[in-house]
Amino acid sequence: MAEEFNNEGMLDIYLFENQQLLEQLQEMVLEQKDEECFDEDSINEIFRTMHTIKGSSGIMMFDNITAVSHKLEDVFYFLRESHPDNVPHMELVEHVLAVEDFISNEMDKISNGDPADGDSSEIVADLDTFLTKIKGGGKGAEAGTLPSGNVQEETKQFYIAPTATEASRFFKIYITFFPDTEMVNVHAYKTVYALKEIAEDLLYSPEDIISDESSAETILKDGFRILLQTQSDVEEVKKQIGEGYDIEKVDIFECKAEEFLQGFDFGGKETQIDLESSVEEIEAKTDASGKKDVAVTEVPKKASPVPGDFVIQSKEPGKQKKLARDKPKAEKASFISVNVSKMDQLMDLIGELVISESVVLQNPDLKVPGLNLSNFTKAAAQMSKISTDLQNVIMSMRMVPLTNTFQKMNRIVFDVSRKLGKDIEFEMVGELTEVDKNIIEHISDPLMHMVRNAVDHGIETNEERKECGKTEKGRVTLSAKTEAGKVWISVEDNGKGLDREKILAKARKQGLLDDSRPESAYTDKEVFQFITQPGFSTNEKVTEYSGRGVGMDVVVQNLQAVGGVLDIDSTAGEGSTMSLKIPLTLAIIDGIVMETGHASFVLETGVIKEFVRVKEDMMIHEPNGEEYIMIRGECFPVLRLGDWYGMERDSYQHSVEDGMMLIVKMEDREICLFVDKLIGEQEIVVKPIPSYIKKVKGLSGCTQLGDGSIALILDPAGLM
Amino acid sequence: MDELSELKKQAEDALTAANEDSSPKCKYMTFKSGNEFFGLKIQYVNEIIQIPPITAIPRTEAYIKGLINLRGKIIPVIDVRLRFNQEPLEYDDRTCIIVVIVNNMTVGLIVEQIAEVIEIKESNILPPPKRGHADRVDNKFVYGIARVGNSVKLLLDPDKLLNDEEMSSMEQANNTMIAMKD
Repeated sequence: MAEEFNNEGMLDIYLFENQQLLEQLQEMVLEQKDEECFDEDSINEIFRTMHTIKGSSGIMMFDNITAVSHKLEDVFYFLRESHPDNVPHMELVEHVLAVEDFISNEMDKISNGDPADGDSSEIVADLDTFLTKIKGGGKGAEAGTLPSGNVQEETKQFYIAPTATEASRFFKIYITFFPDTEMVNVHAYKTVYALKEIAEDLLYSPEDIISDESSAETILKDGFRILLQTQSDVEEVKKQIGEGYDIEKVDIFECKAEEFLQGFDFGGKETQIDLESSVEEIEAKTDASGKKDVAVTEVPKKASPVPGDFVIQSKEPGKQKKLARDKPKAEKASFISVNVSKMDQLMDLIGELVISESVVLQNPDLKVPGLNLSNFTKAAAQMSKISTDLQNVIMSMRMVPLTNTFQKMNRIVFDVSRKLGKDIEFEMVGELTEVDKNIIEHISDPLMHMVRNAVDHGIETNEERKECGKTEKGRVTLSAKTEAGKVWISVEDNGKGLDREKILAKARKQGLLDDSRPESAYTDKEVFQFITQPGFSTNEKVTEYSGRGVGMDVVVQNLQAVGGVLDIDSTAGEGSTMSLKIPLTLAIIDGIVMETGHASFVLETGVIKEFVRVKEDMMIHEPNGEEYIMIRGECFPVLRLGDWYGMERDSYQHSVEDGMMLIVKMEDREICLFVDKLIGEQEIVVKPIPSYIKKVKGLSGCTQLGDGSIALILDPAGLM
Repeated sequence: MDELSELKKQAEDALTAANEDSSPKCKYMTFKSGNEFFGLKIQYVNEIIQIPPITAIPRTEAYIKGLINLRGKIIPVIDVRLRFNQEPLEYDDRTCIIVVIVNNMTVGLIVEQIAEVIEIKESNILPPPKRGHADRVDNKFVYGIARVGNSVKLLLDPDKLLNDEEMSSMEQANNTMIAMKD
């Protein structure tokens, strides 16, 4: 059946929405994992989330997801109804996470075009056991505390409380249908549907009118009973119900709120329509009105209606509803989701604009002597200002807070520490720091490795900690900050720190040490950098999480792709800190354009410390061909760009006095770069070198200059 | 099913030797490089342009001449003569760049001289001789030899022309060696 309509767009939205829901869910669960139990808001939220996922998965016919989310929904339904106070919280957290994993796994399959064929029965069975356990426990040990009648009362109050206001009126409605009416349950449903438009809350009996055809008999025999809470008066209610050929008699009695709360006194279950979650559903589906329609039409086919199954399109999204869901609503209203490819396109266009701007402003036609350009210059300045603003705006649009990435790490710490039996606190600082979206994609893997390393190798086991006399809990801190146009992300742990001797020994074994240098001559930083070598692991045994020696080199490789660096700092016995330093954005940089031979090069302005004209006698030539230069008593290694790139000997400057020296500083290393001449400073739109050309060391990209020619962007880290 | 059609095709091929008209045709862009004429399936060819200034990329294979700016898009260009291990030739006003799109990758091919667009019947295409006496490098780029009138065109597989698996895997090995030493 699903194949009958084109559900591709729906599928995208389904995946997108549910992914977001799952992320929120995970965040919330992990936030409260250390509490004694979930607070009421979270229980409701998890319930709603599962409910929404169940609903949409049902529509998309992913039965296993539906089954799992339905089961978890049951659990939380019970929790929010009965407030059992002996729930093993950790177990519950694990169950929720297991369900979350299962669903995201299935969604991955779906998005890859594979069938969602995961087996849900195990999880469902687990949840069943769990549910029975908490249910049984609640009735056994705590039997006295919550009489069953009480429980029911509370239930109803919950539904009504958020929406009831002074002006609300309550009605009992009895509808009698003509005895020969066919499919009277459908007629009843029609009435209910009509009343939803004016209802604040609505109960009816028999509740199973949609799927249970035998309810038709009950309705014919006993009549159809509705409890309605509304702002409207009797007349309006009557009008809504209408006078069809099928309805024999309508009795409407106004009643008090208390009576309403008691519900029907016929003991059976009631179907309640929870406006709150309905509003949420509507919100969740606002991007896809088409989908909403489907949701509405699908509802009658559903097997068992549970609270919130009905999408109510209220004509008065009044204040009452806002009461309950004020915050999320405000947030949602201020965002729209945009396809990333459109953003990239916009970014490209702005890049083109910046280029053509420089083509206009540096046009050779303007260089004709004797032109009066004062008006042109003014207009040009205005235009430059606007295009700079435009650039800043589009840049800020691409900026995404690190929150999501950090949350994922939270999950990793949770999982790994539970598996390893370590007691670890996880702390996040500055997770709202914003970074370019492209960069986030590149750092999530490195971060994952670093966090795993910290939990697995960094922090000792509980026993080891006791032996060392460490009283505090193991702690992993993930922090982010912006400084000097760079983002610093660091993973800090208070574990055992890196073992200098062990690393040195291993490095010696792998032949990484320079024989001419004594081991003591290596600074700590140099020693720690060894762990970023491929295949380097000091861990003797391979665990599930780390120790194979891949990891840190992946970190470094990923970082290099975005022009970042890794800084390792550690004190034995006190812990280590690994910091990533990455540029805020990749797309547009300030750069110095220079020329060597016939080629133009660009270097990021930030790394250039100084430009110097030098004299031949400042140069020091080593016999092996290496050159150094003394500038104000400091000695720098010299790199001739022309040599470095193997240009033809006679195409570029050789005499240092005719060219220009640039002192380039990267981290704590400095070199002197020798180029023919400087062209100027300008904003550079970074474009990747076409993937066809394999990565060249020392080049990070290319760009188009004002005259249409192409300049290569130098990567200072690669030059050193 | 596939086997059947395969057999059928073979039978047809044999037939079309006598009855050439019924064989499917395909258009090829031909160009000259050295003494031979080469052909590229027309659907790969995007456009043909004059040689603009080329920005050389250091430290790459010799046949990769560099980057050009194609109306705001930066694309790499390769010299087909160098790719075929032929002697390099000074670029003149006959030298052109054929811009091809292969696997979503836009690449310019610098060729000595553009010939013409011709239709070649499939029946006239023969597989290249297997490792004959001319064990030249360009053999692996050529997937077929087409007979057109009295001349012969070598049909190129653009994918192989651009990507050199052996070389790139060797390069990667080299690079990792260098990285290890660093």
